[in-house]
Parts: sequence; structure tokens; C-alpha cells
Amino acid sequence: MISLSARNVAVALTCVALILLPAFGSDFFVDFVATRTLMLGLAASTMVFLSAYGGMVSLAQWLIFGVAGFAVGNVVAESGRGLNLGWGPWTGVFIALVAATLLALLLGILSARSTGIYFLMLTLTYAVVGFFFFGQVTTFSGFGGITGIDPPGFFDDRPKRLYYAALVLSMLAYVGFRAIARTPFGLALQGVRDDPVRMSSLGFNVQLHRTLAFTLAGFVAGLAGVLNIWWNGQIDPTSISIGPTLDLLIIAVIGGISHLEGAWLGAFVFIGANIYLRDIPFLGSIEGLLEERLLAEERFNTVIGLLLLLIMLASPDGLAGIIARIEHGIRLAFRRSNPEGDGSSLRTNGQ
Amino acid sequence: MSGEASTDVADIKFGMLHLTPRSLRALRVIPTIMVGLIVAFAVLWILFLADRSWTVKTSAGAAIEEPGEFLVTLLDGLTFAGLLFVVASGFTLIFGLMRTVNMAHGAMFLLAAYVGIQLQQTMVGKSRNIESAEVSMFAWVVPLLVGATVVAVLGVVMQQLFLRWNQGQDLRQAIITIAVSVVLADQMLLQFGGLAKKMVWPGSVVHFFEILGQRYAFSRIFMLGIAIVVGIALWLWLNKTRMGMVIRAGVDDEEMVRALGINVAVVFGITFFVGSFLAGMGGAMGASFAGAAPGTDGQWLLNSLIVVIIGGLGSIKGAVAGSVLFGMVTAFSPAYLPSAYTFYSIIFTLGTLAIVLAVRPNGLFGRAE
Amino acid sequence: MKPNKNRRLPSLLGVLFAIVLIAAACGGDDGDDGDASPTTAPAESTAPADDPPADDPPADDPPADDPPADDPPADDDNTIRLGIMGECEGAFGGFHEDVVAGATLALINGAGATSTSADTALDGFSGASVAGVPIELVGIGCGDDTADRAIQEVRTLVEQDGANVVIGPLSGDEGIAIANYALDNPEVTFINGISGAQDSTLAVRAPNFFRFNGDGAQWNAGIGDILYNEGGWRTAAVIADDYGFGWTSAGGFVADFCAAGGQIVSQVFPPLGTTDYSSFVQQLPNPDEVDGYFWVIGGTGTNASLEAFLNAKGDLTGDQHAGNLFFSPALADALGTDIAGAYVGGFASLPGDITTPEIEAYLASADAAWDTLSGGLTGNEPGPPSTALGFGFAYGYYTAGLAFVQALEQVGGDMSNNQAALREALSNLELQAPYGPITLDENRQAIVDTFVAQLVLDEASGEIVQQTVAIIPGVDQTFGGTYSTETDPPERDNTACEPRDLPWQGNSIPVIDGVPQR
Repeated sequence: MISLSARNVAVALTCVALILLPAFGSDFFVDFVATRTLMLGLAASTMVFLSAYGGMVSLAQWLIFGVAGFAVGNVVAESGRGLNLGWGPWTGVFIALVAATLLALLLGILSARSTGIYFLMLTLTYAVVGFFFFGQVTTFSGFGGITGIDPPGFFDDRPKRLYYAALVLSMLAYVGFRAIARTPFGLALQGVRDDPVRMSSLGFNVQLHRTLAFTLAGFVAGLAGVLNIWWNGQIDPTSISIGPTLDLLIIAVIGGISHLEGAWLGAFVFIGANIYLRDIPFLGSIEGLLEERLLAEERFNTVIGLLLLLIMLASPDGLAGIIARIEHGIRLAFRRSNPEGDGSSLRTNGQ
Repeated sequence: MSGEASTDVADIKFGMLHLTPRSLRALRVIPTIMVGLIVAFAVLWILFLADRSWTVKTSAGAAIEEPGEFLVTLLDGLTFAGLLFVVASGFTLIFGLMRTVNMAHGAMFLLAAYVGIQLQQTMVGKSRNIESAEVSMFAWVVPLLVGATVVAVLGVVMQQLFLRWNQGQDLRQAIITIAVSVVLADQMLLQFGGLAKKMVWPGSVVHFFEILGQRYAFSRIFMLGIAIVVGIALWLWLNKTRMGMVIRAGVDDEEMVRALGINVAVVFGITFFVGSFLAGMGGAMGASFAGAAPGTDGQWLLNSLIVVIIGGLGSIKGAVAGSVLFGMVTAFSPAYLPSAYTFYSIIFTLGTLAIVLAVRPNGLFGRAE
Repeated sequence: MKPNKNRRLPSLLGVLFAIVLIAAACGGDDGDDGDASPTTAPAESTAPADDPPADDPPADDPPADDPPADDPPADDDNTIRLGIMGECEGAFGGFHEDVVAGATLALINGAGATSTSADTALDGFSGASVAGVPIELVGIGCGDDTADRAIQEVRTLVEQDGANVVIGPLSGDEGIAIANYALDNPEVTFINGISGAQDSTLAVRAPNFFRFNGDGAQWNAGIGDILYNEGGWRTAAVIADDYGFGWTSAGGFVADFCAAGGQIVSQVFPPLGTTDYSSFVQQLPNPDEVDGYFWVIGGTGTNASLEAFLNAKGDLTGDQHAGNLFFSPALADALGTDIAGAYVGGFASLPGDITTPEIEAYLASADAAWDTLSGGLTGNEPGPPSTALGFGFAYGYYTAGLAFVQALEQVGGDMSNNQAALREALSNLELQAPYGPITLDENRQAIVDTFVAQLVLDEASGEIVQQTVAIIPGVDQTFGGTYSTETDPPERDNTACEPRDLPWQGNSIPVIDGVPQR
């Protein structure tokens, strides 16, 4: 089944590079950039999975991610806000994953009948309900959130072990999602994405397939959420507010929402832009030309917004789409292969 | 898109569980019955049961005991619904014709609010502590119209530059508008600062009257009045003018309208103008009603989303229904929830949404596609 | 398209990703190698993870339990790398310039720094040194009022830019997050900017986190006493934002008012994000059922909630209304001239009507340091620097910077031994700040002088202005035992309402015409 396609070779090379990364990257880079890229990429990959194979653009993935974090916080923390159960960290992981999966199942059942942009807005609303739930219900959190959560002792050798945990989970998710696409379930799911009416008349239960895919994605998002709370040490309702929810969508879309690799690529670009774009000197010189501080360092949200705008105007398929097109062009130039275009688009309502 | 009725013709077998299409259809009635029961209980509670000596304490009394409190809550809900409608109708208008989810709707609301506030301060000639008595109706209406026009032009520019040529790619368009709103929000923070600002109602609408012993503000009724005027104007425009008919036809079948030789691009531009203008009007009204600050944009984007999801995307009728339902739940839940739990009202409000969607996935007036 | 059939997906993608990662990884250490790395020889062989170049453990076999080794290289040398944690987005985004200017002014006044630009503090400063030790500004963090972002920003400052002293943050939840971060990073000293959550010091108690400003409850000390004794209130209703700062600020009033003998009859907590306050205002008792109302609503809610009261309950009169620092005509147009006489709780600095030589010198130094600043109070338009620096946000950062400079002076710039001497000096500092003296308690939390002001009608302009009526000296965090390390942080209504003796009761210093009657 595993072919030596260019894609697989590239992914394998990247994996090797990532495995070796802690040997030559600084601690800051490994912990702050790479680990976070893998965590957010893992979360975004669930969004990409649902979108690419199921035709569902879900904004509830970040909520599920956050619920796993809140579950860990409530179970593990011994003082402060929340339930303060003070149980072991691995119990926390178990409960968090169960909570995330059950929530995903519930939301999946509730939203399996919606499609396209409706699905997107419906899941956005769930995200907002989640934000207010944890904000108002002080039994579980309140706006102050849960602070001071330490990962299990196994991860004390920071940053390496947490990094490798994120890497292993990311690889598993990547391989797993691609493998699922080839199973009967995955093929049926893609059939449901492309033509639900026809699949339905062929005897497939459309809503069941959607719900199960959503639940599976929720489980993986829960894994990412557990990693995140260990990395971050705290979680509060603003961690799952509308801003970060849209950030995850931005990550998935920058990378390319129809390519699984795009999730991690998008996360890397997003985090990299947040950290490194501020130091770019040319922004300072533009600022000299413009009045006031329209593009100064503290205005980097503007820069991020413009970057997103540019990418979206250039390619509906994000960076992965851009790269694919460049590659396609190169191939055409070198060996006049068959000009089969990459006809992907962001149409969610596959009319 | 899937027709929802056709999706579950097959049997489902899960071990012992065997569901036939008939029993599945029967299952679907369950949420409807549940919702019916919940609504019936809520009505009973508000009318007869709340805050009696033998039930739980709530801040407003049952309608038969305290008709004044009930009426005030009802009016609070209706007037707030008016504002919701003005903002959300613009959102739904754009979506209905173009399938564009304009995530910059909230940013436009806020920009119009800021422009209106700035202009009003210039017109009155002071920037702080403006009293209503100093504000003529003219000094309120002009900033409102100017602010709304500014964002309407901005909306058209955005549509022409970024959205015109990728029509139909709804996710891509949504993200482009997100990008625009991120940039707008950041630049507004730079230009207008972080403190809450407010537009001041004209003196002629700031007075109070009594309903059944309760004091009530005329400015809220004024707000509702504007909303009704906007609603009627929209209805007339969409139903009695040629342009409106073209738009309604475009909602149904864009290709056919194009084939009839109508310049759809112009129709789209005009619709975007009107939709953004409504966001802007709502912004100036909202700034008078509740103020404007960074973050208000996200809040009103969310309000619009909730209204149109409840009502059904793309339907003006749905926007009315969604606004009223959302406004009512917002007003009644803090008043009639048990006193110890009123801070849960906002979850309750959003829970309504989940309930509506459990019964009607496309909203009250949405069409299954 | 079907992704699983798309076999021809870019080889470039992966390769590029890898190259970018590697390039960025190598670029990653650029930030802190300028002045530090070569000086410390790798004397300790037990800390492999420290120095990126000297580090080659087998990658897939992580070494067994090494101690967490987070220290940036070379913190024993005497270079001070200062990071300022500001707030450029979110609800307080307009005060970014203010707070950075506050910290900067302390270095200008105390360490001989010069601002790079004459009309903004955001371009940094140069030439700062104390006792011959140079102070370098390594970065300005950009918070957005959320804890997650605060942690990311402060980690960038510390782990990427190599800051060993951080001044900030601005708001409460950020403060708790950074205090927790301080626990895990004992090699960095954190001096709070102006964040006012009680937990940061009373619950977290990080030994390297210092706070030279009051918390949200402390700022309301004294007002309950004055309302009870001067205003004649016996019962009060409280309406407060339903989150940490609202609870803490309301808790301070409740503790103070009840200590004097008052009763709280109703507490209403509208959720953050409420647009229409009418239903919440309805829950308050009517004006004839209660002696007064205490308002703790911020943001757009300040005006919206007051207006809802005006619409539903009656006029906003000075004798029946009071509030915390948000209760100001500058934030709420609903407060008309009828509000004259209302009492308002304090904040970090004093209202403009009080002038002492120290305050005048402080404000003059601000005007000398810059031509203009685009602070929050002037709507981010250029305005007089003293306007920004006279307000609590900037002043909180100023006291933090001043405490740092003075403590550093005392120890002769000694940053060795994990900054032990510096921290000792900070803990014992008696800071003579422009608006009053500040000392720290055993949790490194400030004991401050706060104030109570009254809204009065300025005859000349016809506007309502703040006038200080009393200075409350020596306010500590515990409110005479209402709060302790054992109690839960303030929540909706968990502040006990009981009469008790507060250390500052009866000690308040009346202020007449802007002159404290000490």
C-alpha cells in the first residue's frame, strides 16, 4: 500500500528532521515553536480530516480540545478553582479523553444533519456556548480558569519528552487519518462528502458516518488538548473563546484545508509569524513612511491579518495548494507530464 | 446539499438494535415533543408559577401576580430584538443572495459606531460628558447615516476587491472576511483607543413613562420604532421593487437571473451596500444603546450569527423570528430564572439555540438545500 | 478532489517544511547570544540541555531524569536584560503606550536612561545603568488580556530574548498566570505591572514575584467605612462583573462596608458580554428598599448598566450611588450632574486634585522625558505625557520600575547567586513613591496608601470631576483577616459579611482642597 510517491518521501524526510530536531535546535525553539506547532497541528489536523474526507468544516474542534484541558485541570489540580479532585495525572488523561470523545459524539449527533457553511456556523455556536459555560459555571472553572497544572513526572525532562510525545501523536494521527481514508468506512465517508443523496440511496447511513467521523476527530482533538494543558500549565475560558477558535481555522486554512500535512504547515507558519515577524526590520521602515504606527511591532495582528488575506487571495488551498502548484509547474517544465490540474477548491457545499 | 428527508432510508443495525426507517422517523419526533414540553413549562412558569411563596424566588414575579414586571420584561425583549434585527438583517441579506458569510459584519458595526461617535462629538462640540439635552435629533441622525454610509462603501469595496471573483467558494470568502475583520479591529484599536465610547441619544427621545407602575425609557421604544421602519422598508424594497424581485430571484436561482440578461454583479454590489449599511446603522444604534469598545465587534458578529442561525440563513422573515426569540430569551431568562442562578442566563440563552436546531437544523425559516 | 488519490502531492512541501524548520531552529538562538553565551564555561556537566551547541543526546532516547534545566545561559554575569510585559490588544490595548512609558520613566529618572523617541515610549530606551551595570531592554511583550497569551509573551521574553527581569503584566488573569510561571522559573525576577488579582500574591506566593501595587480589593478599602459613617448607608446592593476582578473589587467593598457594620442585601453579577443590562438591573432592589448601590461594572458595561438603571429604577443620585474606579463620568455619560456627592473607590495613583511636591516633580519628569505620548486617556492621540503618567496604569509600572532601580542601587548592581541580593532588597524596600510610600508584606504584596474620592460639580466648567476626600494609609491584602492564604479567592459572594476591626479604620487622612491633613 505504501508507495514511494514524492509526497511520502517528503513526509518521511520531514519526520526524520523532526526526530533529530532536539539535537540541534535550541530549547526555546523545540519547546516554544516545534512542540506548539505539533500540538496545534494535531488539533488542526482533525479539522482538516473532517473537511477533506467528510466535507465538514468544524469550528468545534478547539472546544473539544479545550474541554479535554479543562477535564485534566479539574481532575488533577488540588487547589484553586474547579473541582480540585487531586487525582493522578494519568487518570486525568483518561477522563479527559472520555469527556472529549463523548462531547464529540453528542455534538456530532446534534449537527450531523447540517452541512456546508451551516455546519461551520453551528459548530461556531457550540464553541461560544462552551466559552460561556466554562466562564459562568464556577464549579468547573469560572473566568479565572484553572492554573498551575503540571504534567506527569515523566515529562519533567522538558522540553524533549513533551516534544516527542507531540511528535509521536502527530505522526500517529497523520498515518492513522490517511489509513482510515482507505478503509471501507473512509471511502464511504468520502462518498458521503461528495454525494450524500446517492450514498444514502445506496444504503449508507449518512448521518452515522458523519457522526462517527466527528467522534473520531474529537478523540484526537482531545489528545491535542491534553498535550496543550501540560505544555501551557493553565486553561481558562478565554483559551477557548472565539479568537483562538478562529485561529485554529486560520491555521488549517493557511496550511491548506484539503491536505493533511497542511495542518502542521499552517501551525508552523502561524506560530512562526507570531514570533518572528515582529522582528523584521522592513516593517519598521514602512512605519517610517506611514504616519503613526500602523504597522509597528505592537500591530502585528494587522500583519497576520494581511498575511492571511494574501494567502487566501492567492490560493484557496493555502500554502499546501501553492506548493502543489509550484511543484506542478516545475514538473511541467521538466518533463511534459499529463497536465492534470489540482482541481481542489474550498467549496464546502459541493454543488 | 443533502435533502434531509432522503438521508435515512436504510435500516440501521447495531447488534441488538434494529431501527427501520419507520422507527427512525418516530424517533425524530422525540426532540419535538421534548421541546414542546420545555416551552410549555417555561410559559407556565412565567405566567403562573414564578416567585410564588410555594415556588422558587425569582427577581420578577409571575405574570398574573406582577403584570408590570412581566410587561417590562416583555418590552425589554422586544426592544432589544429590534436592535438585533437591524444588525442581523444585513447579515442575512448578504448571505441570502451571495452565500457569503460576512465575518467582518461585527467589525463594520464597530467602525460605524466609532465614526458616528466621532462625528457626533464634533457636531456637539465636546468630547466628554455630552448630555442628551445638548443633542438634537439632527446630531444623532446625521452621524448614524454617515457612519452607516462609510461602512457601506467599505463593504462594497471589500466585495469588489476580494469577493467578487471567488463567488461560490463560501469558506474561502468567510476566511477572507475574517482576515479583513482582524485588520480592521487592530487598526480601530490604534485609531480609537481601548476605552468604551458612547453615542448619545437625542434629548427628544430621552424621557420616561409609566407602565403598570414600572418606569420605562422611551429611547428603547424609539429603537424598536427604527427597527420596525427598517423592517418595513426592507420588505417593500424586496417585494415591491424590480430590484428587490431580482434579488429574491437571485436567491432562488442565480443562473436563471444571469441568463435573463440581468447584471448580477451590480445586484451583488448593491446588496452588499445595503447589508453593510444595515450593520452600520445597527452600530450607531448599538453605540447609543450599549456603547462601543474593542470586543464589541465580536459580540455583535456573534449576536448576528445566533439570530440568523435560529431564524434560518438568508431569510428576512427568519431574521425577525430569530431576533424576537433571542431577545425574549435574553430578557426573560435573568428575570425568571431562580435568583441564585441568574448568572447562568447567558448559557440558557445559547441553549435555546441548541434546542431550536435540534428540531429544525436549518433554523425556523431556513430551507433545506 | 479526493486527497487520498492525490499521489502527486508536493515533495517540495515536506522538504521546504524541513528546511524552514532547520533554518529557524538554527536562527532560534540568535536572540540571546549577543552578550551572554561565551562568558560561562560549561563547568557544570549535569545540565546538558542548557547550551544548544554543546548538546548531543541521542534523540529518540531522552536522558533519564535530569533536573529541569531552563536557565538561560549565563545569568550570573552582571548584565541586566529587562523585559516589559505590556498590553497591545484586548480591552486594555489602548494603554500599551502608558504602561511601557511608566516602566521607562522609572529608568529615565532612576537609571539615567534616554528614550529613543520623543513622542513614544514603544521604541525603547538606551543608556540605562545602575551602579555601573547596564540595563538593556530586550523586548516589550504584547498581551491581549488573556492568560494564555501572557504566558506565551513572557516565555518569549525570558526564553527567547533572555530577559532576567520582567516588569508586568497589566491585568488580573495575566498576573496569576505569570505568578505561576514565576514559580517554575526561579532564575527570573518578576515585578508586577498593575495587575490586581488577589491570587497572584496571596495564593500563588512565588518567591520571585513582587507586587508594588494594591489588588482589586485593596483599592476599595475605606470606602465602605465612609459610606457607612459619612453617607449613612446601613444597607447596600452590589452589582459587579461576573469574573475575577469584579468579584475581588466587590469583595473589597463588602469586607470594608460590613466591617463598619453595614449589611449587603443583594448582589447581582451580570455575565461578561452582556449587552442589555435591563433584566439584571431589574433584580436590584428599588431605591426605597435600600440605602445605596455599589457599582463594579467595567468596559462598555459601565455606561450600559447605569443607563439601564436610569431607564428602569430612577435617577442616579450622589447620595445613593457609589462605585469602584470604573464609576467615573469619564467612562459613563449616564452620570449626569445629579451624581455629585457620590463616593468612588481608589486606584494606584491619586486623582489630579492632590498636588504635593513629589507628585509635581514626578509629572514634570514625565513631561521632560517626552514631548507627547499617545496614551489611553487621550484616546491614543498625542497628548501631554503627564496625563498618561498620572493615571494608575502607567503609575503601577512606574513604581515597579522604581522599586527595581532602587533595590538594584542598594545592592550595587549585584545580580549574582540567582539574584538573591536583589530579591532580598526588593522584599525589604521602603519605596518612597510619588503618590505615597509602599512596602511589601511577607507574600511580597504591597501595603499601600489608597484613597476615596468624591464626584463633585466643578463650578467653572460645569462638569463632574473627582475630588479626593480621604487617604487610607497602610492598606494590606488581608482586610484584617477576611482574606488569608487559607481562604478561597473572592468569588461571587463568598466574602464574609461581618463586623470586624480593620487596621485602617479611624486612621484615614482627610483631604481638604487637595491638601492631605496628615
